[in-house]
Amino acid sequence: MKDADSIKKTMPSSKPPSLTVFQNPFEEFESFQCQKQEIPLDRMVQTAEAVMDQIRLGYEKLLEEEAKELVWMVQYNTIIKAYEVAEKYVKEIDYSAEDIEDFCFALENTQKIPYLIPGPAGIYISALCNYAKEEEIALKLSELKTEINLIGFRLPKGKRLTVEGDTGDFTGIGLEGGEMIVEGNAKNWTGAGMRSGKILVKKNIGLHTGEWMMGGEIYVGGRIRGIGNIVEGKVYEREKLVYPGKARYPNLYY
Amino acid sequence: METNGYQKQVMDLYHFISDHLYFNRPDLEVKGETFNSAILLSLLTGLVKGKELIIGEPGLGKTTSAEFVCSLIYQFPLGVIWGSEVSGHPEQTEEKIIGRPDLGKLNRGEEDVVWTNFAQVPVKIVDEINRLPETKQSMILDGVDRGNWEYLNEMIINEEYCLYATANYQDGGTNTIIAPLVDRFDVIVESRYPGANLSFLIAKSKGKEQVLRHPKFEKDFYRILKSKIAYEKKIPKIEEVCNAFGAYVEETIGIKPLKREDRFQIRDQIGAIDLDLDASAFSRMILSELSFCDRYGQKRIVEHCEEGCHYTGYLCRQIKNCASNRLPTSIKLFSQGLAWLMGDSVVDIEHLKAVMPYALSHRIQWKDEILSQKERAKRDDPFQIFLAKEAVKTVSQRYREQSDYLKDALAVGSKIFQGEPLEPLEGDHPIYTEIKKDLLHKRNRR
Repeated sequence: MKDADSIKKTMPSSKPPSLTVFQNPFEEFESFQCQKQEIPLDRMVQTAEAVMDQIRLGYEKLLEEEAKELVWMVQYNTIIKAYEVAEKYVKEIDYSAEDIEDFCFALENTQKIPYLIPGPAGIYISALCNYAKEEEIALKLSELKTEINLIGFRLPKGKRLTVEGDTGDFTGIGLEGGEMIVEGNAKNWTGAGMRSGKILVKKNIGLHTGEWMMGGEIYVGGRIRGIGNIVEGKVYEREKLVYPGKARYPNLYY
Repeated sequence: METNGYQKQVMDLYHFISDHLYFNRPDLEVKGETFNSAILLSLLTGLVKGKELIIGEPGLGKTTSAEFVCSLIYQFPLGVIWGSEVSGHPEQTEEKIIGRPDLGKLNRGEEDVVWTNFAQVPVKIVDEINRLPETKQSMILDGVDRGNWEYLNEMIINEEYCLYATANYQDGGTNTIIAPLVDRFDVIVESRYPGANLSFLIAKSKGKEQVLRHPKFEKDFYRILKSKIAYEKKIPKIEEVCNAFGAYVEETIGIKPLKREDRFQIRDQIGAIDLDLDASAFSRMILSELSFCDRYGQKRIVEHCEEGCHYTGYLCRQIKNCASNRLPTSIKLFSQGLAWLMGDSVVDIEHLKAVMPYALSHRIQWKDEILSQKERAKRDDPFQIFLAKEAVKTVSQRYREQSDYLKDALAVGSKIFQGEPLEPLEGDHPIYTEIKKDLLHKRNRR
């Protein structure tokens, strides 16, 4: 048994001791509000969706403003006018080449885009390609049921556009020095009015090929159904020069 | 955070020790700042009244590092610290460690105790503690734990003290440190080989300890410690000489050791630093892994994991024993100290991650298969500290993946505890089961 006097304490603490009672062991978390943690993938998806919304909005505006004329009649001045409208919207969007491809896919596969009209869609896609940051753009159109017209309109120098699948009419018209490769077939009026650059169609091509083209080259891996009235430029069919030359006449069906 | 300049004062001490007294490489990085773990943890031990076990090969500065830190944190000349050290050897006795009868008075039929310097000074160094036989290690259990030193029915209680013990790796002359004693150490750290170049420099700078010697003051200390006055009356006298020695150190080498009131104020500041929610949740997560057993209610060294247990991916599967209640205390104390030293206003997960391996490594008993799996792994740390660092890394990865959900689960737990009709969140980690157990306990108390 210890004698109380024998316990010699040193420097008793000036503060009274405080006792912890058994309390809510989670108390400090009481006011915790869980903020949903955003993982990088979420952010990427959100960003991609926001960009797609903008692209889609531009397309809808173009349809509203220009659809009537383009739907009924393709004339060069209406195309230019539509392209100017498309340019106006496209310039305001910060997008990448992948977004263009997503848009092409969304044209047929989402309810958000009410209708696919091959003309305006092609003009709009061309504007997107021409104003994209990337120099190389690849579009996978092979899964689309509709062939898009006017792809590659005014493709500028320094750009290389590869299309996987077939394209519709007026592919690569007004080409301005760019390089366009169509992995499948192209329809009529391909390369019409092009000034410079190169179009390579790996399979077959339709009528009026190179109509009023002012320069550049068109290479066709398959058969050319008909050559248009070419002002200047070269057209090759299966590596053989068919224009200028005697082998082909304008719109000669064979 | 306002620290009245104490933080800078302590960092000056750190730099003085690392630049002039204890040459070694930094081996610990916290928030971009690098430290030498041996000096840092020794400083924190002195500041928070902790207990540190310093391990290492012979001659690599285990004892001297502790001596330098003690001298500067507590203003004692090295001569006094040397005279107060207990060295571990098989013939050590209670009389040499704690106190002996006053033989003069005993002859007169009176009982009184002459306390040893070790029992009286606030800085306690036990050199080569694992050379004490297991039976004699028990003698210092109480003193180490509570600062109570008892002899012949008399007791002195050190209100302020810290303990440093050194231990060599197992060799012919060493014993195992008994588990209850090991658990009482807040942290374990290795005093490492500094590398060939610094080692060469150490040889050139022989006699550096003279800057912390002062024979006159040392004599004054001994006179007070040996005097027959009551222990509590010695304290202010000792403090007086401490301050005189501190002033001498400041004058001669230009750094300011800590006075008693400085240390008390620093401790108040350290104690006021809270753990932020992430630090709290992370601590709970790791503690649950170190104590959880679905089958038997908690980890016990005598029980073994059953085959096919759901919780095979957690630390509980890799260890044999259960974390003690001293573990969270040590983690909190040292992480608060580190946060204070770094000028942070709260303890965050980075402080915890830095401190935890040193608080865990001596307290975990790994299963043999884990030891054999990892013993050949490439590492810089001693095996136990390496394993603890790996464990902390693994759990912090788990925490990162589910921190919000866990905090949410704890928040829901708090609401249920206060009576809201909610259901605890489910989760795969042992912590979610622990939360549910606490809530069940609360419901049963109602």
